[in-house]
Amino acid sequence: MATAHTPATSSDSATIIGESVHIRGQLSGGEDLHVLGRVEGRVDLERTLVVAQSGIVKAEVSVKNAVISGVVVGNVHASESVELTREGRMVGDIFAPRIIIVDGASFRGNVDMGDIANMPARKPSAERPRPTPMARPQPVAAAVPARPAVTAKPGAKPAAAPAASPAGRAPDKGGDKAPERAPERAAEQQKPAPVTPLEPPAAKGLPQKAQKTRVIVKRR
Amino acid sequence: MANTVIGNTIVIDGEISGDEDLTIRGTVKGKIALSASLIVENSGTVEADIETKNVEVSGNVTGNITSTERVELKSDGRMVGDIKAPRILIADGAVFKGNVDMER
Repeated sequence: MATAHTPATSSDSATIIGESVHIRGQLSGGEDLHVLGRVEGRVDLERTLVVAQSGIVKAEVSVKNAVISGVVVGNVHASESVELTREGRMVGDIFAPRIIIVDGASFRGNVDMGDIANMPARKPSAERPRPTPMARPQPVAAAVPARPAVTAKPGAKPAAAPAASPAGRAPDKGGDKAPERAPERAAEQQKPAPVTPLEPPAAKGLPQKAQKTRVIVKRR
Repeated sequence: MANTVIGNTIVIDGEISGDEDLTIRGTVKGKIALSASLIVENSGTVEADIETKNVEVSGNVTGNITSTERVELKSDGRMVGDIKAPRILIADGAVFKGNVDMER
């Protein structure tokens, strides 16, 4: 409606579908909708759809914003944003200019943010946080392969070079996880003997962690 | 807070079922089946067959009501349809057209 965000959510015009309530059919409106129960069919809103942890929506959803902490099965079209929170589970396609999928959320489907070429304004701000964690592991990675290559295998130079290179690249893939391992590596460097046996598991560990992380799209 | 509220601008076309109180300020068409109370407020419009424990009508209802306990038509309530319930209250000012059945 014409009113701002707060009155619609807090005052009498907010719509709540309670936990034990099951709606089957078409639902449309111009205000926020909180689903704690079940909705099947179709949802058309001019405002925000909030699917609470207990909420289940099996519907074609067309809204301005969607915040999903429960279960959504169906396609979601949002004119502004879709956010899948840590508890959110969703199967279906998302069409929205802003899509936020938080770590822990599970999602299967397609993501379409529309014409990416026409919205470069938000991109620089979204990419800014990424280079900073990437920059940290690089000095650590450079220091680690240099010492074990000399101390542990002094004779085998061709073998040391390939062993060093994956360890140097891996932290780049691991990205933000790498800084946690920095103190471990510092400890390894102080004991020269166990460095080589410990290095392969450390190198293997990084790609494994990278596989565990699910699709994370953050744009803010 | 946990109660279900269908807000002013909301239009539902279909079936609603549940075990908790339902307040309707918007529009519902189709069918409502509750094991608790249904409240149709002033701004609410219901075009549905209703099966509930209690019904309180201050808005517009078109359709048949079957209630296991009580149906109350408030003074600003308007209703067209049949009511079947052990207790039926129609307040002064209420508009009603239909059949009443108080059989238990």
